[in-house]
Amino acid sequence: MNDMRLLERSVDQTEIKISARDVQVWYGEKHAIRDVNVDLLDKTVTAFIGPSGCGKSTFLRCLNRMNDTIDISRVEGKIMLDGEDIYDKRVDPVQLRARVGMVFQKPNPFPKSIYDNVAYGPRIHGLARNRAELDEIVEKSLRGAALWNEVKDRLADPGTGLSGGQQQRLCIARAVATQPEVLLMDEPCSALDPIATSQVEELIDQLRAEFSVVIVTHSMQQAARVSQKTAFFHLGNLVEYGNTDDIFTNPRDPRTESYISGRIG
Amino acid sequence: MSDATLDGAQPRSSLLVADPRTRKRNAAEARFRAYGLGAIVISMIMLVILLFTIVTGGVGAFRQTYLEIPVALDAAQLDKNGNRDPADIRKVLTLTYGKILEQSLQQAIADKGIAVAELSAKDVSNLISKEASAQLRNRVLADPELIGQTVEARVLVNGRVDGYYKGRVSMESAARDANTSPAQLQLADALKAQGMLATEWNWSFLTSPDASDQRPEAAGVGIAILGSLYMMLVVLALAVPIGVAASIYLEEFAPKNRWTDIIEVNISNLAAVPSIVFGILGLAAFINFAGLPQSAPIVGGLVLTLMTLPTIIIATRAALKAVPPSIRDAALGVGASKMQSVFHHVLPLAMPGILTGTIIGLAQALGETAPLLLIGMVAFVKNFPSAPPDGLFEPASALPVQVYNWTQRADPAFIERASGAIIVLLAFLLCMNLLAILLRRKFERRW
Repeated sequence: MNDMRLLERSVDQTEIKISARDVQVWYGEKHAIRDVNVDLLDKTVTAFIGPSGCGKSTFLRCLNRMNDTIDISRVEGKIMLDGEDIYDKRVDPVQLRARVGMVFQKPNPFPKSIYDNVAYGPRIHGLARNRAELDEIVEKSLRGAALWNEVKDRLADPGTGLSGGQQQRLCIARAVATQPEVLLMDEPCSALDPIATSQVEELIDQLRAEFSVVIVTHSMQQAARVSQKTAFFHLGNLVEYGNTDDIFTNPRDPRTESYISGRIG
Repeated sequence: MSDATLDGAQPRSSLLVADPRTRKRNAAEARFRAYGLGAIVISMIMLVILLFTIVTGGVGAFRQTYLEIPVALDAAQLDKNGNRDPADIRKVLTLTYGKILEQSLQQAIADKGIAVAELSAKDVSNLISKEASAQLRNRVLADPELIGQTVEARVLVNGRVDGYYKGRVSMESAARDANTSPAQLQLADALKAQGMLATEWNWSFLTSPDASDQRPEAAGVGIAILGSLYMMLVVLALAVPIGVAASIYLEEFAPKNRWTDIIEVNISNLAAVPSIVFGILGLAAFINFAGLPQSAPIVGGLVLTLMTLPTIIIATRAALKAVPPSIRDAALGVGASKMQSVFHHVLPLAMPGILTGTIIGLAQALGETAPLLLIGMVAFVKNFPSAPPDGLFEPASALPVQVYNWTQRADPAFIERASGAIIVLLAFLLCMNLLAILLRRKFERRW
């Protein structure tokens, strides 16, 4: 693995893609996220770290309004994507999710063929005018997810027949195929073995060229390896946010220091 | 419990010898297995007994004894004016045809030189079913050219004689029977020896309508099959779309609040409502209030739809619930709308479960009797309903009602018919279950 090389890469982007202001999330009576203010940069990998139940996944799911599917959840505050409030009444979450893709913790390919898995998004969004264009999108997405060489001869096989790591890359290809601007990843490697994990991590680094990537991870090593920016969540608060190097080498908040040195979490 | 107070300081025992606790646990497990196996064996035995009784009792309905005799259709009796006018021919009653059959039979017996011994002319003619003259009349009405000719007629014999060749009636029982006599059976044997009488495969059981108490040999399940089929069409057309749509709404779209909870509880309760209550509801709502005709398959279908809906809704909701939420997340995550995620991903995955539930519901409806009695499907129906949609509003019977009906009749020949109808009903149910299995296979193999 090429940890050090990734770590040394500095943040060369300053353009803000998503900015959150005073975000509060309630699950019923539970105040899950408190006063989160954060600016996520374009073409940058941002890692959310923190102990279990600290709200990092919850906050991630706010960014493409996946929390809408949970009846009891309530979101307050402002989350701006390119300066537009995504919680505005006029926003259709379906349109938003086409621009903010998501990869889930457990690989969840559709029980369809590999081709159909990737082609599903472009189809429902009308991104391809004909079969040839769709083929092209599928190939490009699978190449983008570093899966093309492994599956190009069996595109008609079911996606669920792939190995865990391949399935997760298929899910990434599926998310990439809708040509999103932001890619949210909720612990994408937690169900994968180390080899598959390193493949996905390399992939994340490549994806940075095109998207803003936000990744929730339990593994601090992973955050250090793949991200340029890191946000540390604790008990629903965003404790510290900054360059990954700074967070890991020189944390300002004592809670961050405790967590990364393994005393809490 | 004694488990907690066990002395931990016992000496270590050998692995080769089971300790008392292990022995006890193993014995309990062995007992439980034996109970399970016993339950299976008992149910298998019951099933075998059930099938054996039905098949031995009902297989006779699929065979029928016929008499083959030449019948001289006397023009002087059947068409007095001699102009073959259908209106005039229609005026001739079955009584006349009955006399012609009697004469033909006596003639045939005399021709073959069979001794009739002490049998009176009436006893001889009683060999022929009362239905035979009506069948002959229908044949002549369909083809008036036959008048004046001598035709070979396949004549139904009396139910007792038919029963004699199926083992239902014996010489001893005939001696005690007012409707037949050993001499009549001997005559039938003599006719059989001459090749004039034979027991053959009985298609007309499946195609002919019900018959009156006096002529069990002519009774068939034709109208009952048609009526059941029409009702199933109504149920399929109404219960499946309504039930599936309701479940999808409740499961995927409806907000989870007090009202949907109440609806859910009520649906579960409806599934447990005795079916005869639905019959009363149907009588009040569809016949008395909406003014639909009695005994009509449309009303039966509507009542059965009401009855089947809860089953379909419960099965469909269970099938939808069983689809992992990760699939919904995946679809929403790539920007599918709620409806797209349901129809593109959730529904296909739930399809095997939905189909199974639906077909179980339909099978339940097919075998339902009680509500149909209340809406008049128990009536005696002699005329076939026409093709749908008109036929849905015309009187018809239904298979389970026909079974119920026949078991109420005095003549034991109807018991045989009832068992035969049960075989037909079971055959339909088996076909539906087979269909359910095939469909499930087909949908499951897609992934």
